[in-house]
Amino acid sequence: MNTFDSIIIGAGPAGLKAADTLANFNRKVLLIDTDAKIGGKLNLWDRLFPDFSSSQELLNQLSKNINNENVTLKLNTNIISIKNNDNHWMATDSNGNTFYATTMIIATGFDVFDAHRKEEYGYGIYKNVITSVDLEKILSGEVSIETPSKVAFIQCVGSRDEKVGNNFCSKNCCICAVKQTIELKEKFPLTDIYCFYMDLRMFGQSYEELYRRSQQDYGVNFVRGRVSEISPTMDNKVVLKAEDTLLSRPLKLTADLVVLMVGMEASKGTKILGNQLNINNTDGFVKSTDRYLSDSETTLKGLFVTGTSKRQMSIPETMNDAVNAAVIVNNFLNTL
Amino acid sequence: MHKRYWNNYQKEIAEDHYFYARSCIRQTFFSGSETAFLKMMTDELGKDIFDDSRQHTCTGIGYHSDIIPLETISTVIARLFSLMTEMGYENFVPSCITSFGILTEITELWHHRPDLLEKTRELLYKATKREFNVPKNIAHPCDIIYKFREDLKKNMKYQLVNKDTGEPLKIVEHIGCHYAKAFPDRGVGGAEFPHVLVGMIESWGGSVIDYPERRHCCGFGFRNYLVQANRGYSLSNSNKKLESMAPYEPDFIVANCPGCTMFLDRWQYTVAEMEGITYDKHGHGIPVLTYEEMAGLLLGYNPWELGLQIHQIQCEPLLDKIGIAYSPEDKYKDAYGKQLFPPQKPNNLIV
Amino acid sequence: MDKKNLILKKLDEDVRFHEALSACMNCGICTAICPAAEFYKYDPRAICNIVQMGNVDEIEDLLKSDTIWYCGQCMSCKTRCPRGNTPGMLITVLRKVSQELGYFTESEKGRQQFAIEQIVGKNIVNFGYCVHPDIVEPFMHPEQGPVWKWFRKNIESVAPRFGAVYHQEKAGALRKVDDNSIDEIRRIFEVSGGNELFDTIEKFSEQKASEYHQNADHDYLMKVYTDNSGEHSK
Ligand code: SF4
Ligand code: SF4
Ligand code: SF4
Repeated sequence: MNTFDSIIIGAGPAGLKAADTLANFNRKVLLIDTDAKIGGKLNLWDRLFPDFSSSQELLNQLSKNINNENVTLKLNTNIISIKNNDNHWMATDSNGNTFYATTMIIATGFDVFDAHRKEEYGYGIYKNVITSVDLEKILSGEVSIETPSKVAFIQCVGSRDEKVGNNFCSKNCCICAVKQTIELKEKFPLTDIYCFYMDLRMFGQSYEELYRRSQQDYGVNFVRGRVSEISPTMDNKVVLKAEDTLLSRPLKLTADLVVLMVGMEASKGTKILGNQLNINNTDGFVKSTDRYLSDSETTLKGLFVTGTSKRQMSIPETMNDAVNAAVIVNNFLNTL
Repeated sequence: MHKRYWNNYQKEIAEDHYFYARSCIRQTFFSGSETAFLKMMTDELGKDIFDDSRQHTCTGIGYHSDIIPLETISTVIARLFSLMTEMGYENFVPSCITSFGILTEITELWHHRPDLLEKTRELLYKATKREFNVPKNIAHPCDIIYKFREDLKKNMKYQLVNKDTGEPLKIVEHIGCHYAKAFPDRGVGGAEFPHVLVGMIESWGGSVIDYPERRHCCGFGFRNYLVQANRGYSLSNSNKKLESMAPYEPDFIVANCPGCTMFLDRWQYTVAEMEGITYDKHGHGIPVLTYEEMAGLLLGYNPWELGLQIHQIQCEPLLDKIGIAYSPEDKYKDAYGKQLFPPQKPNNLIV
Repeated sequence: MDKKNLILKKLDEDVRFHEALSACMNCGICTAICPAAEFYKYDPRAICNIVQMGNVDEIEDLLKSDTIWYCGQCMSCKTRCPRGNTPGMLITVLRKVSQELGYFTESEKGRQQFAIEQIVGKNIVNFGYCVHPDIVEPFMHPEQGPVWKWFRKNIESVAPRFGAVYHQEKAGALRKVDDNSIDEIRRIFEVSGGNELFDTIEKFSEQKASEYHQNADHDYLMKVYTDNSGEHSK
């Protein structure tokens, strides 16, 4: 029988950091991910807000930290069920393999909102409508495009929207947009950039300063109004319709490129496991026992949760949360 | 690539046995279309559809111009439902898009507020001693034609293809706002990429144009047309659409709402007369058809019995493009074969 | 009840009011695609905001203004609102209250209700149609063009070509709606508040007409039907 102190499901920033921390406590950890490589959604981003540090460097560091005999890494493994049996946790994958541990940590994270669902924005239909994730490939140089003369960023795509069933704010897309506008401006200094927002949520340290720089040093234009629809033009551009709510005036903007700032939904894995164990909120994220006092615990003994499988978090928040979860798990193991 | 995004997710559309409710606007401007629809249903498809002589307006245009209270329109509709119930039908087919929208809205309201349904029953009974069942299925005639588009195709003599070039005709489809904008799940394909007309066009050989103002309202705007002082609204919104589609050089426009069909036709004439502008290259304007007219033409129905001569934008260039046979001499004959003096020619628009 | 409470009560009483507006976040998505905002000095977002702020004086001003009469009732706003609101339906309720309190005669666009009631309203209860060729008079509708004139002139002998049964009492397009059905429609209007609304519109219009030293008759109708200060559009 494969027995571990803890099984961590999900090898994104949360899972990696939790594994690293538990390993430092000399706990035996099994770290599982359905992907072929570690890093989860960190792989989607090139540089990180607000300091433009490299995601790959961070990932390399995280990877180094788990490279020790206490951590067993299992990739390409899709956990489809979790059960508790006599104070032991079992995780079964789609091939029928079962893994056993004293504790289990859900770190299954988030999925990027599928922009196709917002039909009126024409993602997947008009080739110049892309998502913030697609843009990262352009910014990293992996995909090259001709210099666009006008680019529009659209905030809150798939967030704060009853129509797609997501009432929440995804928290990170505002600052991510600011980061991306600056990077795009650095790449294409002559490009005009318009950012359509409803509220700019600059909640983190130095975010507001970055927003100011994007305006002051890079001339990014911020328009307060949510985009209603995007349609094609004769010359292969797209036109956006919004209201400039500060002027009370409908406006149309023709752009060569539109970037949809897609939000963060509970990932498919988070939803499946949360549902199975009956520990999820209505929005699909996993519910901790108490947001203030026991934010890593779930209602099930020995089952813990960390990172964006709980709610939207930035990367530093996620990793801090993972350290916290690991400490709590270690304490729990000490009591047995 | 167009095919990929007009979703053909289905709503429920009854198979047979329909109660037909005529549209004030459609019968006023396109009575040939209503006749053609009934003919397609019975002669081409062998369906049972009933046309009650005691039917009347749903008052929808009055409701949307705010002179009819909710309770009144609910009860008037209830009378239509009571005729349907009395004749033994359960599937209601309103010819008008405004009606379709109203019926959807009110039956939805009754669903959430059974007390309001009860109240309507009381009012109808008090006024007329009538009772009614809420229809099992409400579908617009365009839904039904969409559903049976492949069956109709078997009987069609023509296709939506340019007979000289063999190319599919380029068609603008205009969906009336009240078809699916309020209740997207009640329209075939939803509100953003409704498939109901696209499905017909693509099955019958044509291609569809996607253009910037595709979803924009035709500009009817109820009180904004009904009152002369407001018609600038209507004109300007229609033109916004027409201007936006013109560069794509559509062969024709097809609409599922009779109001839209009429406005897009008449405002082209108005602009041509006021400003000398037409939205095609040759000065004829872009023909605007009802979906019944589009289907009827392909089935080989006589264009002059469909009523194409009472559109202001004339259809002959389109008929020639498809290769539809017609008799020019018969165009302005009356029902008894008498040759009438033709309508006056506009100054700018070529007819 | 004082006027202020009356306005709020009347709004609150309408089932459509709460359906139309729960909580607006002022995003402007509705205004972005609104055909009325495109043409008029009109902003459905701003209207939602005024109503949700609940300042009765401002709401009263709104009820007396041209603003609420600009909407074209296309319901495009309903499709998109990320909060599930329907500004177009909010407008319906505001217009209803404006008529019930007689505020509609305070604005040029509001006064037009008299013409609509006389033309469409009377047509419904007299003939059973909202629209019928008989009321689309070419002289009031120049945009209908020469073909419409031709059709109207020859309607009796041309309409049958399209399968219509113009003015006949049998099933078909343009039939005469039978007397029994008309009677039933009238009784429905009697019991369901339809007549009451007509009377209200007429009563307040009569009052307004007298300010112009007119009766609410054909002249007043033509006045409200054609008056255009030119101040409405963008
Ligand atoms: S973070 Fe900004 S863009 Fe993202 S959902 Fe919240 S408000 Fe919208
Ligand atoms: S779309 Fe909805 S939330 Fe946005 S401004 Fe309009 S009513 Fe308010
Ligand atoms: S219903 Fe009225 S407010 Fe809504 S989009 Fe149409 S015209 Fe504008």
